[in-house]
Amino acid sequence: MNSLTFYLVIAAILFSFGLFGVLTRRSLIAVLISIELMLNSASLNFMAFNKFVAPDTAIGQIYTLFIMGIAAAEAAIALSIFLALFRQLRSINIERARELRG
Amino acid sequence: MVKDPILLACIVTVSLPFLSFLTIFAYTRKWERLSCSISIGAVLTSLICSTYLFVATYHFTEPLQYSIPWLLSGKIIIPFGFLVDHLSMLMLLIVAVISSLVQIYSLGYMAGDPGFSRYYAFQSLFAWAMMTMTIAPSMIQFYIFWELVGLASYLLIGFYYEKWSASQAGKKALVVTRIGDVGMFIGLVIVLLFYGNLGVANINSAAVAQKIPATLLTVSAILIFFGVIGKSAQFPLLTWLPDAMEGPTPVSALLHSATMVAAGVYLFARLFPFFMGSHTALQFALLIGTITMLLSSTMAMVAWDIKKVWAYSTISQLGYMVMALGAGGYFAGMFHLTAHAGFKALLFLCSGVFIHHYHTNDFFVMSRQGARGLKVPMVCMTVGALALSGVFPFSGFFSKESIMVALSHHPNKIWLLAGLFGEILTAYYTFRVIFVMLFPKKIEEHGHHQEEHGGGEGVLYWLMGWPLIILASITCVLGFFEKQIEHYLLGDYMLAHAHVAEAAHGGVHAITIAAILLVIIGVAIAWVEYGRKGAAQEGFLTRLPRLEKLFANRWYMDHFYRWALDTFIYGGFTNLFTRNDRRVVDGGIDAVCRATEGSGRIASFLQSNMVQYNILVMVAVIGFVALSFWG
Repeated sequence: MNSLTFYLVIAAILFSFGLFGVLTRRSLIAVLISIELMLNSASLNFMAFNKFVAPDTAIGQIYTLFIMGIAAAEAAIALSIFLALFRQLRSINIERARELRG
Repeated sequence: MVKDPILLACIVTVSLPFLSFLTIFAYTRKWERLSCSISIGAVLTSLICSTYLFVATYHFTEPLQYSIPWLLSGKIIIPFGFLVDHLSMLMLLIVAVISSLVQIYSLGYMAGDPGFSRYYAFQSLFAWAMMTMTIAPSMIQFYIFWELVGLASYLLIGFYYEKWSASQAGKKALVVTRIGDVGMFIGLVIVLLFYGNLGVANINSAAVAQKIPATLLTVSAILIFFGVIGKSAQFPLLTWLPDAMEGPTPVSALLHSATMVAAGVYLFARLFPFFMGSHTALQFALLIGTITMLLSSTMAMVAWDIKKVWAYSTISQLGYMVMALGAGGYFAGMFHLTAHAGFKALLFLCSGVFIHHYHTNDFFVMSRQGARGLKVPMVCMTVGALALSGVFPFSGFFSKESIMVALSHHPNKIWLLAGLFGEILTAYYTFRVIFVMLFPKKIEEHGHHQEEHGGGEGVLYWLMGWPLIILASITCVLGFFEKQIEHYLLGDYMLAHAHVAEAAHGGVHAITIAAILLVIIGVAIAWVEYGRKGAAQEGFLTRLPRLEKLFANRWYMDHFYRWALDTFIYGGFTNLFTRNDRRVVDGGIDAVCRATEGSGRIASFLQSNMVQYNILVMVAVIGFVALSFWG
């Protein structure tokens, strides 16, 4: 249980769920949540590598902190974009946003 | 700081006018009195310094050179500094004297002008450019200040810039002289490429002829001579000078005597040994000088604008100088330049008084309004006219005589004949003006003018009067210093010395007598037509209307240039360039825009309006790439 592989597998499963969510969910909020899942899986990887491969340094932890910060900023921007989109379309269904068709 | 008094004097001479230009432009434009005091103070100090230099270097036999390297490029060193020899000192003194007198005179002439400070700033700029050019040790420095002289004269000719004709005249002067300058620059570049040095002393040394092939030497000499043609208003490019009359009269005086047009002749004299290396170039100069002299004399015979008459006469006198130099008379050319600077400045300044007083340029009108009542300018102008036509005790007689001697020494006598014929023309057109002014047909009485004659203008009148008197006395006595000046100038050029000394013995008297006779004939014709009681005051040319029209239209040179400009430049080049601009440049940019837009449109087909499919494709591609790298 307590090995690197275990954590990597968990992170991979988490990432796959996130990717699946991004690709399949119609609601933009759900897409955003899925992206957060993917980010968290990456954080989990960093933490796992930090603990099992280079326990003396804190580089992985620092990366994780950064990812949390970025995720917060990204969520703020994304939500404001969703608000703007909602005002325009009265919906946050991703399939309704199709004005930029080439 | 600087130990050597001569170097110090050089620095002071050339830097003060520049500083005064900067000061006036930057700080004192609002205070007219301060501006003119600064400018006149600067130029008077320069005059004192240049007089000191002249005296201090009087007995020097070797030229002194001070220079610091200014630009280094590979093996070529371009120095910046001062070349103190007899020629440059003489010229420096002429420039300083004339500029100071003109600036003092301008106090009266320009009084009350809204651009008073600006005028003095430009005058200082002009003096600085000319003086630094005069004592330049390298042709690059010479060329830079040569162009600055052109710039300053552009600014001063177009001084009344609100006037359309004045701004056009300034532009014309700049553009026309530039044509010559381009030739000169190419010539200098040829010398630089083949000889590798542009120091005045180096170019003048005999080594040049060994390093540069003879044909190329001729080509470069003729190209450099183009600079003389442009600046000194010689034959094909002479049309800018009469138009330059649009500037204030003191500017014309300065322009015509010691600075702008003299710069061309000075260049010729400066590089005289270099020109001597090419016989063809000298022949070319002689030809150009002769054509110029005769053409402009004919133009002067029909002009009614007093400044135009003097302008044409300047061109023809410059033609004489170029002829003299072309015939190998180094001293004759320079001496005529000296004498001419004095009496032509005098003539212009005198006409300036009349123009200022009567507000007209037409000397027939001036005469009718009683111009001869203004005693000082009238007497001084007569002195100037006597000198211009070459009457005995005045400077022009001596300088013209030496020119004739130089011409007579040339194997081809046709130049001498042309020169002598020019004497008649000169005497005729000069005394045409003088007799008309002195003996008006009828005087219209204008009460207030008479009052003004009675000393009503006071200080201003005498501010203009004194420079006239000084110049007139110089004109009277300068001729008697011919031998001294000759000795002074020719001390350092043995080459030319031998030439003239030999000439001084043979056939001089015959030529002198012939010249005097011809002058008398010219004056007599003018007297019969304009001077004697009951004279019609119409030239013989009125009976030849075609010829008169030809002369009055300057041999249709301006018309020709206008036509050539319209046909070749505007019709040919400009048209081509316009088309090039429209089709190639504009079209090219339009094509780039269209290509960008089109490719954008094609790329936009990839946007299928379904974000999640796009992301799916992206993930698939990244996965594929990752897999292929892994494998």
